[in-house]
This record gives sequence, structure tokens and C-alpha cells, in this order.
Amino acid sequence: MSLDQPEPIFVGGTVGQSVAKTDSLEKVQGRAEYIADLYRPGMLHGAILASPHAHARIRGYDLSEAMQAPGVVAIITGDDVGEGRMGAFIKDEHAIAKGKVLYVGEPVAAVAARTEEEARHACRLIKVDYEELPAVLSPEEGLARDAPILHEHLAEYIKVFDAGSDGNLCSRTELSEGDVDAAWADCDVIVEGEYTTQPQAHVSMEPCGALAEVDAAGRVTLWSANQSVFRVQANVCESLGLPMSRLRSLTPRVGAGFGNKMEPHIQPITVALAMKAMRPVKLILSREEDFEMVRARHPYRVRMKTGAKSDGTLVARECEVLVECGAFADDSPGVMGYSLLMCGGPYRIPHMKASGKLVYTNKLRFGAFRGFGNPQVLFAGEQQIDQIGEKLGLDPFTIRRRNLLRRGDQWFVGPRIGSNGLGRCLDAVEQAAKGARADGSPRNFGLAVTAHISGLLGTGAIVRMLEDGTISLNTGATDIGQGSDTVLAQICAEELKLPFDQVAVASPDTDGSPYNWGTTASRVTYTTGRAVKAAAKKVVDQAMDHAAEILDCDVADLELREGGRIGRHGSNTDVTFAQISGRAHWAAGGPLVGSETLVFDEPTHDPKRAIALGLPFPRIGVFSFAALGVDVDVDDTSGQVSVHEAWSAADVGRAINPRLVEVQLHGGFVQGLGYSLYEEMVWDGARLANPSLMDYKVPTARDVPDAIHTFIIEDPDPTGPFGAKGAGEIGLNAAPGAIANAVARATGARHAHLPLTGERVLAGMLDPGALQD
Amino acid sequence: MMVKKVLHSLTLNGEEVQVATAAGATLLQTLREDLRILSSKRGCNQGVCGACTVLVDGTPVRACLTLTARCEGHAVQTMEGMDGDRVMATLQRHMVQSGGVQCGFCTGGVLISARDLLEADPTPSREAVKTALSGNICRCTGYRTIVDAVCGAAEELSQ
Amino acid sequence: MTEVLSPLTVDDAIALLVEHDEAMPLAGGATLIAMRNASLVEPSHLVSLDRIAELRGIDRTADGTIRIGAMTRHCDTAACAELTGSLHVLRRAAGMIANRVVRNMGTMGGAVANADPAADYLPALACCDATLEIAGPEGRRSLSIHDYVDDWYETALGEGEIITAIMLPAPVEAPSAYRKIARVSGDYATASCAMALDPDGQGLRVAIGACGPGPLRDRAGEDALRGKLHDPAALAEFAGRLVALADPVDDVRGSAEYRLRLIPRLVASVLSELAPQKETA
Ligand SMILES: Cc1cc2nc3c(=O)[nH]c(=O)nc-3n(C[C@H](O)[C@H](O)[C@H](O)COP(=O)(O)OP(=O)(O)OC[C@H]3O[C@@H](n4cnc5c(N)ncnc54)[C@H](O)[C@@H]3O)c2cc1C
Ligand code: FES
Ligand code: FES
Repeated sequence: MSLDQPEPIFVGGTVGQSVAKTDSLEKVQGRAEYIADLYRPGMLHGAILASPHAHARIRGYDLSEAMQAPGVVAIITGDDVGEGRMGAFIKDEHAIAKGKVLYVGEPVAAVAARTEEEARHACRLIKVDYEELPAVLSPEEGLARDAPILHEHLAEYIKVFDAGSDGNLCSRTELSEGDVDAAWADCDVIVEGEYTTQPQAHVSMEPCGALAEVDAAGRVTLWSANQSVFRVQANVCESLGLPMSRLRSLTPRVGAGFGNKMEPHIQPITVALAMKAMRPVKLILSREEDFEMVRARHPYRVRMKTGAKSDGTLVARECEVLVECGAFADDSPGVMGYSLLMCGGPYRIPHMKASGKLVYTNKLRFGAFRGFGNPQVLFAGEQQIDQIGEKLGLDPFTIRRRNLLRRGDQWFVGPRIGSNGLGRCLDAVEQAAKGARADGSPRNFGLAVTAHISGLLGTGAIVRMLEDGTISLNTGATDIGQGSDTVLAQICAEELKLPFDQVAVASPDTDGSPYNWGTTASRVTYTTGRAVKAAAKKVVDQAMDHAAEILDCDVADLELREGGRIGRHGSNTDVTFAQISGRAHWAAGGPLVGSETLVFDEPTHDPKRAIALGLPFPRIGVFSFAALGVDVDVDDTSGQVSVHEAWSAADVGRAINPRLVEVQLHGGFVQGLGYSLYEEMVWDGARLANPSLMDYKVPTARDVPDAIHTFIIEDPDPTGPFGAKGAGEIGLNAAPGAIANAVARATGARHAHLPLTGERVLAGMLDPGALQD
Repeated sequence: MMVKKVLHSLTLNGEEVQVATAAGATLLQTLREDLRILSSKRGCNQGVCGACTVLVDGTPVRACLTLTARCEGHAVQTMEGMDGDRVMATLQRHMVQSGGVQCGFCTGGVLISARDLLEADPTPSREAVKTALSGNICRCTGYRTIVDAVCGAAEELSQ
Repeated sequence: MTEVLSPLTVDDAIALLVEHDEAMPLAGGATLIAMRNASLVEPSHLVSLDRIAELRGIDRTADGTIRIGAMTRHCDTAACAELTGSLHVLRRAAGMIANRVVRNMGTMGGAVANADPAADYLPALACCDATLEIAGPEGRRSLSIHDYVDDWYETALGEGEIITAIMLPAPVEAPSAYRKIARVSGDYATASCAMALDPDGQGLRVAIGACGPGPLRDRAGEDALRGKLHDPAALAEFAGRLVALADPVDDVRGSAEYRLRLIPRLVASVLSELAPQKETA
């Protein structure tokens, strides 16, 4: 290391300080190891043969030529995996295509060979005998009376909620509150529209990959790029029929996730290959395969109607969504259910009705992606709020303020709102964005607000005090680059009053880490942070007991001091964690370990208030809030939109590490900007037409505004660790709504279809009258 | 398809190396598979993402689009060989401090492009930094903190 | 497996291309290696042109003509001080290709040979009335850029032929510019426009990119427009002729309809940059 001015990087950072991420140094030096960087003795390389058909029955395989190809050690197909099926909500997916293929790009066979080139070459020599079937390429087609059926045995699949599956209908959800049908009569203004949103690719810069190894006793060790070692373990074991105790799941550094590494990708295939080859196998997807085989954000068709009184008070909203699922359910029922929960936005709307249908199609599975269904419905909802404001002569801030949900209110169908800094978010954006641009020209301003939950499901933490008084923290939460290791260490250090650099964070390991559902749904800081704080508190309590014995006094007389010391009130003498831990390890009581597990258990649905059918998340979480303002430019020649300046204010309860919150807001906004303006996966018939970074474009440094102002609003949540709530998704959600509102301001045209490409915006400029089709 | 290996001599991070690599291999393949130089990442293998960017004779190029055969007799430099480089060390420190490193997959390529810019233009404007980095895709940061880091490093170095 | 060959002369390169059936010339590799990585091409041999001295450098000949060696990288073209006035358009186009690192790799010869309809050099070269120097098994020849593109990705280059240089007429004092509409920075063009004014400011040359197999150029239309650059009706008629010449496709960068819409708008936009209309009472 030759940093010419070596500066201590981890000095005494605790809660509220922007300490550098613990993994930054190895990453800037190029030393961080990602899945593709791992090698094992005798390791083979895997490659996948993808289906050329959208829907076909597999009649048989001819592997003879491929088996003879140079370097080939093992080949697997659907014949090598049992009947097991995996899936987060509906267990509908085999480890690899078995009996049928359901989309172009679906893995049909996989080869392990000495080199990646040999494995890829051998894949091309595999012959598969297909009987082509008619394909379903849109949800509308899927619901048609005579539609070909993707999952003939859907009725028999295991489902974890009341999905209402039928034919190609994967699931349906219906929520209602108040009496919408009667309420329209009370409305002075009503706006209505039908909106569509496009599929977006995650494009984590690291493509998905896995490395599996089988030991002499047949137990599997699996490293993979993932957002949850535990979901990987569950999925692989379910699909391959392995007892979970027979598989250990680990993670190296992960080159970001955004949702596409949460549920399985190629881990089950890699394990099956390693088991067959009896050698370690590493399988790394190409970028094209990553586009074609993993998952993407759902395209939505949203019908929305909103009504208000003449003073701007919202009265009713109805929202109906038709969601394309792709070939497998994956997280889709959750995404759709969540989007319906969120479709009212953070407003008091007494009469609400939301319903959705999720339909299987012969395409890549759609699944979780930062925002989880929220951006799609918000694109419609936040435009309608502006339209109502326009009709009533209320500016975007006023119409929103008039209707905000407050602390203590209940969200649609029931969850109680705790802390809520949305009003302050709006103030921050309004204050900063008011007036004209620096050069005096007027702004093309657009606003949108959003809420998002953090919570969801089980989590745990183990805090161990080492013999010298420093700490090992183990949570099982995968840090996918956003810095959760750092934030959790900060929470732990704060509770123990230790310098931040005395907390080491263990890498997730299903053999040794407590359960963690996953790094997803903006949940780690909030949920895992709670567990960490509680576990650390237990270690403090144990240390206090030791100190009381050493100092021969009552625990009540003791205080925890900075730097890992415990002493009596009003006295200078104290004992150090090292003394206490030494005593505990060698003499009395046993090593200090605090552990805590919890599951977010507040019910989502209040049956006294609302009707809910097919709700996939019975318990969700606490609410974070955000307001986003953008000022856009529209190019006269091309219609292309660029964001000149953006203001993103988020109530995250308490920013454990403000810099990391800011980067979440920056990164989320820019991913939302790409989604709003040009990112779109395009299918040419059944085949993805742009599965490469050459054809699928994401924003570069030149395509984003330099001025992305962030405002961290802190309204501490009583249940959050030091008040913290989630920050991971809230920065993206509002982007399409805010940008669409700004484009309407700039061009006079409202847009109902994402993305807002130059082509669409130009068409709107030339004919601003109509809602663009 | 038999794997035919070819022997090439090149300078890697200041040292003469002879490497047997598949005929027609890209520099990215040779670096990673044969030389275990892992800082150069395969993000796309198409020249778009920039994660594989390395220096050949001091000029940044895409390792995924460069043939190893073309590097015969030339000097290849990767992040592993940047120890002692003052500009790089300053950039690295600013990246750590600014939060410009998130998942880190893009970071090596970003830093090599940034260093090249500062060699050519020690006091770049923010616009110039964004232009120079426009061939390095980062999906995590939204670029803001990366640009901050490069500008911060430039300011420190030019003092 | 691809074998890489590195001849030192143009003649040797051509001999190697003739000798090996599935050999391809390799210039910067920015397109060819990317295509090979994606298994879109599987050449048995790559004939690397990087050691051939004749293909390098930008020179100005005695009569002012500029010769750009085929292996000249985009970064060198983008920085070339000889490309002034009417040739500035080429410099601008070079500077808009991809990004800094790819510009360190790609070459003009490779880009012209590749003849991607959405790429930047062809419209700029068409606007400059460039000539290609070509060498092949049958000897050497020159070819006007206007006769170069035959169809989508099809050019007048024959088997075993390589481009050795791009010749440009001596620059004249007249503004020229290049504008590219692309989804994001560094993307290929959705549509582009290369334009140079006549030295007297009365006429223009214009080439449109990405709206057909090759660049669109209407020299008769340009003649008709002379002296009427600021006459909206004449300009609209001229743009209409370009639109009529266009044969765009729908692709992930935009629809054919959008491209047709962009042509007149691009012409107007670049013209107003080069010849801002004077406020006359
Ligand atoms: C990420 C990325 C973005 C890009 N963006 C753009 C862009 O915005 N605009 C743009 O215009 N281009 C763009 N390109 C293409 C780039 O300009 C390439 O450099 C160019 O198309 C090919 O040039 P090359 O020297 O690399 O040729 P190579 O890739 O080596 O060769 C290309 C083809 O031409 C043949 N060939 C090469 N040289 C000769 C010759 N002298 N005679 C005959 N045949 C020859 C080869 O056999 C091959 O078929 C991009 C490329 C990449 C990787
Ligand atoms: S891997 Fe080389 S540019 Fe993406
Ligand atoms: S830090 Fe993840 S891609 Fe840049």
C-alpha cells in the first residue's frame, strides 16, 4: 500500500458519522475478490446452453458429441435434477429446464470443462429435441380463453399465500377500503388514465456467477454472487432435493444486486454440475446471459383514477394493474401485492380500491428490482396528483401538503405510520429549488413524493467479545456494496461505545451466521440493525455483571464509558473490556456472546378497516419517506430530456452513516433516471432484442446532472436502531413521476408510457393536446 | 476445438513475463486466467463497461478488446502494478473518503481512466471529469461521489 | 482458436488474407474483437495491421490534400490540428465516437470498413467528399466515399482488399459541424448530421447518418439550395428531399418514423449553429 499520506481511515466512527466503508481500501486497490476471482484446486469451468424457443416440450437430449469434446468432464440436463421446485411465493421452478422450456434463454443444459471456452464450445454440440408449442408473449394473451398454458400443474404447486392461481393467472390481489364506487359522486375533479411501464434490466456491473465444491462426504460448499446466502441455500436445496444441512452457502464480495441476486440464478445449476463432475465448478455468466437468464423489472399496465374535492382534498382512488410475470413467479406476487399497497402514495385517501392480476408469459422471469413495484404505480399516481393540482390551481407542493398522511395515521389496508418526515422533505425541496436557474432562466420543475417500507421477515445478530475486548459481529447479511457491514459495525460500536475499528464483521456463512432473509427491501439497516443493537446490549449487560463482580459493587452503580471501559459513577477507576473478556474466557462465566433474532411482526392488514384478498406480505415494515424535485431540459431538435438539477430529500429516521445514505440517494436517482428516460428491454417476438450493453443503455457520467442535491431528514423511528429506517429504494421510486411531471411542465404534454424517450417527448411536443399513446 | 497455447513475452507491471495463453486470447483472458491478475474485471466483454480497462504502453485500453498477441513486447500495467504511483494513491484515497466506491466492480477501471485524465489535464473541470469517465459505467454511485473524488484528488495534486 | 498474424507490409497482409479462407484484417479490434467475443464471427486468422508503417499517420501533401492512414486512431483524428474549417466536421465526429478509451483503440480504416450505418465517420467523410485508398490482390485503387456503401453492411470492398488510407480535399475556410442524436453519451447515433458551409456562406454540404444503409447526401438538392439557406421554404424542400432519400429501420435506438422526423430538425439545428440567422429589421 502506497497511499503517500497514510491516513487512519477508521477512526472512532460511530452513529451519525460518515466513516469510510470497511471494504473501500481493498476495492480501490483492486484486491477485493468477487465470485469470478475465486479459484479452487482442480476447478472446472461451467457454461450453459440456453433455450432457443419460448415454449417447447423437451423430447430428449443427445449429449454424445458434446461429451467427446475436448476438456469436457460433466454435462447436466433436466434429467439430472429431481422433481423439486423452488420459488419465493409459488414453488414453480426447477433447477434447470425439465420437460419443458418456458422462455428463450432458459438454461436447458450445462457443461463443466477444463476451460470456459471448452465448456462454451461443448454446449453448442449438445442436441436437444424440442416440440415447439405456441407461446404467450403478453399478459393479455395469457388471459385469453384459448391461451396455451405454461404451468399445467400450477394447481398442485406449493404456494405460501392465497394466490388464486388459475390457468396462466399466477396470482391476483384485491384490496379495498371505504366505498370507492359511491365516492366518485363526492368528487369535484376526477382524473383518469391508463399507463404502461417497460421492463428494466438491473445491470449490476458484476454479472451473476457461482462456484460449487463437494467434499469427500458429499456435502456442498457454494460461493455465489448473492443478496442472501440463506435464500441461496433454501432455493438450491429445494430444487435439488438436498437437506439444507448438506449445503453451506457463502459469499465473496458482490458487485451489486438491486434485486437480481436475491432469489436464485445459476446456483442450483452450478451445484448440480459440481455434484456430477465431483470437482469444483465455477460458472460465470456473460453479460448477454445475465440479461437473458436472470430477471428484470416488471412491465406494468396501470389503470388509475383519482378524485378530489375542489379544495384539493383527495377523496378516492382506484388502481388496477396487469403485471407480466414471465415464466416463473419468483418475487412477482410480492411485487404486485406491494405495488397495490403503495398505489395510494403517502396520502390520506379515504376511499381506495386496488386490484391486480399477475400473468405468466413465455419470457424471462420478472422479479425484485429496487423499488419493488412502487415506481410503476407512482408514475401514474404522482402525475394524477399534479393534474388535479393543475385543474384546481394548486401548485405541486400545496396539493401534496394538503393530503399527506401523518404520524399515527394508518396506511392503506392498515399498517400504522410511525415517524414521518415527509412534510420536512417537501420543505427542503421547495426551499432549495425555488426561483430560477443560476442564469435566470425559468425551471422546468417536476415533483413527486414517495414512501417505502423497511422491515420484512427474519433476521439475527451474534456479537462476540474477543479475548482482548474487541468485537466480532456476525449477522449473515450480505453487503452487496452499499455498506451494510459498515453501518452494522457502526451500530454495534455505538452500543458498546467502542471505536468503530474494533468491530470486525464476519462474512455471511450459513454454517456460522444467524439467519438473515436478505439484503433487499431496504431492510438491513433497520431490521438487522435492531438485532445488532439488541445483541450488543446483551454483551454490555454481561460485561456489566463481570465489572460489578470485579469492582465489587452493584451494576446500578456502573457506567459504560467510551473506548470499552466500565467504571463506577463518580470514580476514575474502571475495568477494560480486555480485562472483563479475559476473565470471562479463562476464569468466570464463559466468553461474552450476545445474540438476538427477530422477525418483523406487525400485521399489514387491519380487517376492521379494509378488505384484503391474496395479500402476499402479511407483515411489512416501517415507512421511510422522500420527496424528489427535478428540473429538466428538453432538446428542441430531438425531444430528448436531460435532468439539469435534482433535489432528493429523504426521511430515513436517522442516518447512521450520512454519506452512505447520500450515495443511496444519488445511485437510486440515477438508476431511476435511466428507467425514466431510455432504459428498456425490447423483445423482438420471443427473443430479447437488446441483451448487451451496446444496445441496452444505462446512464453514463455525462448523462446525469452534476447537481443532485440530497437532504437527509431525520424523524427517528421509535423501533429503529438509533431511530434508523431504510434508505435503499426510496431514492429511485419517485424518479419517473417527478420527471414526467417536469416534462409536462416543459412541453405541455402528459405522458402515459415509460420510458420518456426523445421519440415520445418529441411526439408530445408536436401534439401536446392528448395524453400520449 | 483443441486449445492451442501460444507463448508471449510482455512486460507486466514492470516485470518481464512469458505467458502461455490460448491462441487469439484477449488480454483480459490472459491476465485473469493465465496470470491471475484479477483487478481487471469482465463486466461485458464488449468494450462498453470499462471494468477491464488497463494501460498498454501507458495508454488506457479495453483489455477485453485487446489481443494478447498484440501486446508482445509491450508494457501492460494493471492496478496491481500501481503501488508507488502518486496520482493513483491520491485518487484512491479520495475515492475512499468520498464514498465513490460502492460495490467496487467498476472502481479499478474508473481509477485508471481518472489517472489518465489527470496526467493529461491536472486541473480538469467537473465537466471534463465526467467526459473522461463516460466510458466507465457505474451502476451504484450515480457518479456524483466519483466526480467529487477525482476533482478532490486533482486539487490536492496540483497544490 | 484464432491465429494472429502480424505482417509488415500491405502486400504481405493481402497475401495472408488471400491465403487463409477465413482470415480477417484486424485494425483496432474495437468492433471485431467484440464481435468475436460474442461469437458473431469466428475468424481462423486475424491479420493484424498494426505493424504496417504505410497505414499510419496523418499527412498533408503538397497540394494540401490530407491523407489519413487507415490505422489512425480516433483519438488522433479528434486531436488533429490539420482538420480545420471544412474538415473540422471530421474532427468533431471522431471526438464523439464512444468514449476516450475506445477512441484510443478504434481506427478510421476499421470504422470505415465496418460501415455500421449508425457510426459517425461515414456521414462526416461523405460531407468532406473523401476518397478511399484501397489495396487488394488486383492492385491499388481509389474510390469516392459516395460510391462506397452498397447496402446494409455491404460495401464496395472486395475479397482480400483493405483500406489503406482516407484522402480528404484540402480544407477551406468555412465552418463545419457534426451533430449526433444518441440515447446516451457514447452510444451509436439514432440519427446524425454532418454539415459544412461553402466558403461564401451561400451554400452547404450535408450528410445524414443512421437513416439508411449509408450516409444520405443530395448534391443536386444542395445546388438548388445555394443562396437560399435562410429561405424556410427552400430549406424545407431540401430537407424533404433528404427525407425522401432515407430508408431508416426500426431498432432499439428509435423507430424509422422518429428518424424521418429528425432529419429536417437536425438540418435546421446544425445550420443555425453554423450560420445563425442575422436579426435584420
Ligand atoms: C463501446 C464501443 C462504442 C462505440 N461507439 C461508437 C460510436 O459511437 N460511433 C462510431 O462510429 N463507432 C463506435 N464504435 C465503433 C468504433 O469506432 C470502432 O473502432 C470501429 O467501428 C472499428 O474500428 P477498429 O479499428 O476497431 O476496427 P476492427 O474492429 O479491428 O475491425 C472492424 C472491421 O473492419 C475490418 N477492417 C479493419 N481494418 C480494415 C482495413 N483497413 N481494411 C479493410 N477492412 C478492415 C475488420 O476485418 C472488421 O471486419 C464503438 C465501439 C465500441 C467498442
Ligand atoms: S469488460 Fe471490457 S469494457 Fe466491459
Ligand atoms: S461501485 Fe458498483 S458499479 Fe460502480
